[in-house]
Formats: sequence, C-alpha cells, structure tokens
Amino acid sequence: MALNMARVWCRCSSYCIKKNNFPNVGVNFLHLSRSVAGYERDPAPLFFSPDVQRIMRKMTKVDVKKVFRSRKLGEKLDAPEYKFLTSEELEQYMKETEKKVEERLQVPPIVKEREEINEVLSVDRALTGYDSAKFVFTDITFGVPNKDRIIVVREPDGTLRKAFWNERFRMNQIYFPEPDRQLRTPHMFEEPYLTNVLDRGEYEFVLDRACVQYEPNDPEYYRVTSTTYDHIEKEQMFDALQSTRHFGALAFYLCWNKQIDNFVLYYIQNDRIEDAVMLIQLFHLLNPESKSAETDSKDALKFIQAYISKDSSRKSVLEIALQSFLELQKQRQFVEEGIKKAHGM
Amino acid sequence: MPHPASGGAQFLQHTRKIIRFTRKGCTNRPFYHIVVMESFRDQQDPVIEQVGTYDPLPNQHNEKLVSLNLERIRHWVGNGADVSTPVAQLLGLCGFFPIHPRSYMTAWRNRRAQAPSENNSSS
Repeated sequence: MALNMARVWCRCSSYCIKKNNFPNVGVNFLHLSRSVAGYERDPAPLFFSPDVQRIMRKMTKVDVKKVFRSRKLGEKLDAPEYKFLTSEELEQYMKETEKKVEERLQVPPIVKEREEINEVLSVDRALTGYDSAKFVFTDITFGVPNKDRIIVVREPDGTLRKAFWNERFRMNQIYFPEPDRQLRTPHMFEEPYLTNVLDRGEYEFVLDRACVQYEPNDPEYYRVTSTTYDHIEKEQMFDALQSTRHFGALAFYLCWNKQIDNFVLYYIQNDRIEDAVMLIQLFHLLNPESKSAETDSKDALKFIQAYISKDSSRKSVLEIALQSFLELQKQRQFVEEGIKKAHGM
Repeated sequence: MPHPASGGAQFLQHTRKIIRFTRKGCTNRPFYHIVVMESFRDQQDPVIEQVGTYDPLPNQHNEKLVSLNLERIRHWVGNGADVSTPVAQLLGLCGFFPIHPRSYMTAWRNRRAQAPSENNSSS
C-alpha cells in the first residue's frame, strides 16, 4: 500500500507533463494541484486508527433526537408509532437504537486523492480514421465491483487506452446506477451555486449529497468538502454539524490543516473546555511533530495553554478568551458562595 | 426465475450458435443487443442469452458505448459459437480479439475518402 501511495504522489507531482500528452483530460486536473497540497501525507492510516476514530466519535456528541429527526428529503413521512413496553423491552429498543446511531454516525472516510489513469494499452495507427467517434467498451461481467471493472477506450487515432476516471464514473453509473447519484454533476456543486447554498447554512445537505455523488478519493469530493469546512470555520457555525456524521470529518480536516484556532476559540467562549481539550488531542494525534504535542498535562487549562503558547497562530485572541473565561469562572464561584452564605449553608 | 440475460430461447446442443447483433430501438434510432442465438434463426426471434449492447449513435461526449459481458463471451466462443463480422470488429477494437481485417479496410477507405477532399480544398 505504501508503495502504491508513493507512486500516487510521484504521478501527481508531474501532472503538467501528462496533461500535455493527453490534451483532452484537462477537466480532471482542474483541482488536483491545489488539493494535493492539502494532503501531502496520506491521511488514511491516521484516519482509520482506533484512537482517532474514538476521539472523533466522542466529539460528535450524540443527540438522538437530532440523529433521527425527520428530514425534508422529498420522501413520504411515516406517522409515529406508540407502543406499550415493559422496561426490558424498552431497554432492548434502546440498544437497537444505539446500534442504528453508530451506523448513521460513521464518519465518511478521508483518504488520499486518486491519481489520473494514463495507461495506453496499444497504439495501432492503421486504424486511424476507422470512426470519428471514440468507442468506450465496458465489461459488464456479473459480480465485478465498480472500481475493478474493465473499461477501455479506442480513440479515433487508433489508440487503445484505459478509461479516465470521469469516463469510468459515467460508464459505471450508466450500466450499474447507484441510487440518488447523478450522471451529470448537480449544479449545486458548481461555483456560484455552492457558495449560495453554503451562505444559507445548508452544510449537512451539501456534505450528505457530496457523499452520495462522489467517491471519497475523488478530487471533486475534496473540493466540495473542503470548501464547506472552510466556510463553517469562517462563519463559526460548528454546531451545525454536531451529532451528524460529518462532525468528525470537520474536526479531522481542521486539525490536519492546522487551522483549529477559531474552533478552540469558539469552544472557550462557549465554556466547553472538555471539547477544546479533545480537539487539541486530535490535533496532536494528527500532527505529532507539533511543538505542544509533548505536553502531558492532566489539567485541562494548562493543556490548552500549552497549545496556545506553542502552536497557535492567533495567540493574543485565544489568550484573552482564556483569561476572560477564567475570570468568569471566578465570578461564578464567588456568586455561588454568596448564594450559599445567603442560604446559611 | 430465469436469469435476466437469458432470452428465453430453447438451447439445443448440436445447432450452430452465433454471437451477433439484434436491432432494438425504433425508427431512426438504432440500438443493438449483442446476443447468442442459433445461426439459422431470424434476427427478432427469441435469443439464448444477451451478452452485451451497442449504441451506434455517439453521445454528447462523442462516444459510442459498447458493453460486453466478456466472461460469457469467452464461454460461448470456447464452446464453438461463431462471431458475426460486426461483433468481431467490436471485439477486435476493444482488444479482446485480434483486429478484424475489415476494420483496417474501413479505416483505410475512410482515410482515402478524406484525402482528395483535403487536396481539393487546399488547391
């Protein structure tokens, strides 16, 4: 696997040369150079490690009512069912529900972007002019998964090559359609409209649909999700994704790209020190080379303080927020003591 | 329940089978199924099995789409089924068979037909 990934990196870094060889694949490379910069390392091994999964799951903060709320997805709504249950039955139902929650809150995988397929199988110049159109051949043998399916293209100049990713996507979707996935990219993911949707705060909708529409290693998936996460970070709308499957992915993205300052600030300002600690722990797991990764303080405030002083890029703002939080705590304590005294306790 | 690819025709052991096109679609809109049937049957008769499709009209990306169930084609060819020339050309173009001689002929004729018109326009 590591070897494969190394090859991926080599190919991506030399994509300009390949683009010249195949002038009609320009579309696929639009976002490659940008997003490769975001994932120079392969995030998959870290993402799937049990520690990271546990923290992401813990940060998601399950609210069962939000997980199972009825969503307006154009489906017919079921009327609620009321049942009389003994306490054992109720317990069993609750256990089943927990299982369902686990299923629904699986964080969509974050893996490295795929590289473009540029494999020429044969070049037969005697076939030049056979037809003005390309021929796309798809092997529809039963039981072959989409990613392993043989799809080849005979160009009008007689070249036989493996299909590019966008062709593979179309052929797979034509012959083996995935439910709710569209053959053409929904306009929602194109630029003026994407910003519009995000400005309306429909983050979960965008991310859910991106999960359906794209494979997790698709460069377009990176573009859509990272735009969404950046927007959330800019607008400080972190709670919009709370107890959805995307919250872990959001935290992972921000930690990976070392831009959690706003997130930490948000937590401190909302008195959620434990969450801030978990976020910084995730940051340390994903960036073991960071300066504050060594801190082994049990005290939450010192732990945060270490991050602020060593790794934060907005030190002053975070310092002030932390100080005001401490003062607020003191005042609260003072008031509580006063109340206790007044009650004669 | 029969397999979805099964065409419902009777399979007789000692008749000649052929992998060929049958025309589907409608007027002015050809679409072909690649099927296995007995070679003496009429084109629209029930087939033994469908092993692919061919859409001869290019789509918006200027592609002609062909789907082939290579596993079943391999099976039928191995059991002595004949392959009609148009299908053999497609199988040749996809690299499954050697290129059919007729493909080279067509390509050469197309190139020759194009050449004088270019000469005329340049002169």
